[in-house]
Amino acid sequence: MTSYLLRRLPSLAVVLAVSSVLVFGLLRLVPGDPATTLAGSDATPDTIAAIRHQLGLDQPVLSQYAHWLTGLVTFDLGRSYIIGGGIGPLIGGALGNTLLLTASALLLAVLTALVLGPLWASARRPWLDHLLTGVNTLAIAVPTFVLGVALALLFGVVVPVLPAGGVPRGGLLADPGITAQYLLMPAVCLGLPVGAVLTRYLAESLRSELAQPYVVTALAAGVPRRRVLLRHALRNVLPTSLTVLGLQTGALLGGAVLVEFTFSWPGLGMLIERAITGRDYPVVQVLLMLSVTVFVVLQLLTDAAHALLDPRIRLGGAR
Amino acid sequence: MGALLRIANLNVRFPGATAVENVDLELRRDEVLAVVGESGSGKSVTALAVMGLLPRSAAVSGSVVLDGREILGLPEDELRRVRGARIALVFQEPSTALNPVERVGWQIGEVLRAHGVASRRERAARTAGLLEQVGIPPERARDHPHRFSGGQKQRIVLALALAADPDVLIADEPTTALDVTVQAEILGLLRDLRRDRRLAVLLITHNMGVVADLADRVAVMRDGRVLETQDVEGLFSSPRTEYAERLLAAVPRLEAHDRPTRLTKTDEPVFAAENIVVDHPGRPAALDRITLSVAPGEVLGLVGESGSGKTTLGRVAVGRLRAASGTVRLFGRDPAGLGRAELRALRRRIGVVHQDPAASLDPRRTVLDSVTEPLDVHGVGTRAERVARAHALLDQVALRPEHGDRLPRELSGGQRQRVALARALALEPDLLLADEPTSALDVSVQAAVLDLFTELQDRHGFACVFISHDLAVVNRVADRVAVLRDGRLVELGPARDVLTRPSALYTRTLVDSVPVPDPVAQRSRRGPDLEVPA
Repeated sequence: MTSYLLRRLPSLAVVLAVSSVLVFGLLRLVPGDPATTLAGSDATPDTIAAIRHQLGLDQPVLSQYAHWLTGLVTFDLGRSYIIGGGIGPLIGGALGNTLLLTASALLLAVLTALVLGPLWASARRPWLDHLLTGVNTLAIAVPTFVLGVALALLFGVVVPVLPAGGVPRGGLLADPGITAQYLLMPAVCLGLPVGAVLTRYLAESLRSELAQPYVVTALAAGVPRRRVLLRHALRNVLPTSLTVLGLQTGALLGGAVLVEFTFSWPGLGMLIERAITGRDYPVVQVLLMLSVTVFVVLQLLTDAAHALLDPRIRLGGAR
Repeated sequence: MGALLRIANLNVRFPGATAVENVDLELRRDEVLAVVGESGSGKSVTALAVMGLLPRSAAVSGSVVLDGREILGLPEDELRRVRGARIALVFQEPSTALNPVERVGWQIGEVLRAHGVASRRERAARTAGLLEQVGIPPERARDHPHRFSGGQKQRIVLALALAADPDVLIADEPTTALDVTVQAEILGLLRDLRRDRRLAVLLITHNMGVVADLADRVAVMRDGRVLETQDVEGLFSSPRTEYAERLLAAVPRLEAHDRPTRLTKTDEPVFAAENIVVDHPGRPAALDRITLSVAPGEVLGLVGESGSGKTTLGRVAVGRLRAASGTVRLFGRDPAGLGRAELRALRRRIGVVHQDPAASLDPRRTVLDSVTEPLDVHGVGTRAERVARAHALLDQVALRPEHGDRLPRELSGGQRQRVALARALALEPDLLLADEPTSALDVSVQAAVLDLFTELQDRHGFACVFISHDLAVVNRVADRVAVLRDGRLVELGPARDVLTRPSALYTRTLVDSVPVPDPVAQRSRRGPDLEVPA
């Protein structure tokens, strides 16, 4: 396993290097200059030039890039132009909040899929099959922001049983019970589409797995149907389901931006929204690099888990 | 002695089709009852109906009595206790019959667990005993299925099926997917298990040699009905129904027969290989210093077990694969030195027929389109002439003009293979490559396709490389036979010599492993267990 991971490291480094160039370069191509924004609308060209010099924007692009990259590697992330403060602490706080949110959403999604997937795959009654198909399609189709607003209205305003947004006053760590109340709606909103996709995938692949000869072999030898489904067949579809989960987790990070915005959840999504509207280059750059890194590492972990679960991959692919 | 398993008036209907109709079968203690028939005869559906494992869409009626107890329609939980403990099932394809991601020992343990062996230690001990009984070293319980060969997998499947000590074993084509020497080993194992465990075996097969080898009585099925049931000797010596007689006559046999020799030694060979080697990186050579040639108008049979290099050699012979070393001559020229246009001209003289006609014909093209395609590609004649030629070809392979408008799925397996043959002959090739052209077909259909092949070969006089794992099929069509093993040429000579008086030890093992479709002869020649020479 260690050697498998080591073999994958060079390609990971290449992906990150290329992304850093793209992230850095793309932001230079976008119209609008932070110095102009900082200086205000009636600043003289001299003031703007002074600010440019102060921010290092008058340096050659290559040396700016080198400077930035060195900073990234040494975790000296620089300072924010617009929001203010060191980027490190700024992201650190938001990252914790986002991690809590996405992890809860992911947990909800996985639990839903593990319960509903096998149930759907083995549904003997047509009405149950129709019901699950309908609910599933709806859950995949409704956009996150519509669902978020609807949930917030329903449970935060019409039947006020949950806080409609924000975080507990004492911070997230003060009282887990209260935190859970604040977390519930954003997590459901974020996790639902992912859980729905995962459930559908799991049900489909279990269904085709149940037609495999080894399933008939196990049934014919007297192994109970439930155990064949939940132990024999499920174990076979888990590796590919993990790949789907890995890809969906990437989508989850994107969805977090919208959900955090809807529920005023002070995470990376809120931060990136502020940074982009304010043309706060350094913050946007670091945030983009962070999401690329998270995504790439997630894929690596997914593949590693896949290899761990499927002995045919682990042993070098010989069937 | 009374019947252990009595199937009476069994009917199975799927929406829109009846699969099994009024089937009566009786399996006595200690006997092997073979159920034979071609595809669609209802053999496997009968087996699944007995086990209660048919899909929900099937409507089953009738009676299945096991040891005095009606088991048809039992609730799932009671039926589950019968499965494995009283009746077990083994299927055709050992490579998919085991769960690929679990260790084989665990899989056997699951059966023990399902039948009440709660202690992990006891499960492990009994699993070791079972593996030993089927000839697998017990320490290999910790390996996953992909680490075993096909024959070993079938042994493990047998161990799994017998784990809960059933009285009845239903074996559905247990050796069909295996090479002949492996088949002989598994048949030997089945005989031993049956004797040691006093098993009653319901053997489902299409192979008359296997029937002759193992069965005490035989039931012949066709279109969901049992046509006749009698002792194995009786069936082979005097079949009561015309269908059984036809079925037996269609079985190709390994007997010497005289064909007028078409060898014209003076002509330049259409294909000649000298000392050719083909490598796959990291594995033993796929072909190791092979020297042989195919004369104009000659049918060269290539036989060997899986992995022997038959298909690889076939691909070299039609210029699809380049040899790493050695010289190859195709129509007197080295295909490796030819330009694109010359290679195209060369390929015009070559036709190919694959094993599975369902996969080698484009499912969205009509038969006529498939047959005219080679003519279109090489721009032969006008459109009208091409269509006329295609109709003539369909006529030659005994298909009617209206078949031309159909899609492959609207044809039977045998008809599809006729279409593939017509397409391969469209450009009047000088060399035809036929790779297992009849393995996917039923025996009676196979017999008809082989007759057609011989007739067409006589008429057109093309040379042919005919690949098959079935020695009897090759015996029927080939002038000369080349025997391959692990990429090496073991023996090469006239068909009647190689297949009836083999000189190489391996060829003799191969020939001896093929069960003869004659119960008396097969039982007398069986003798001590066969061993493959190293």
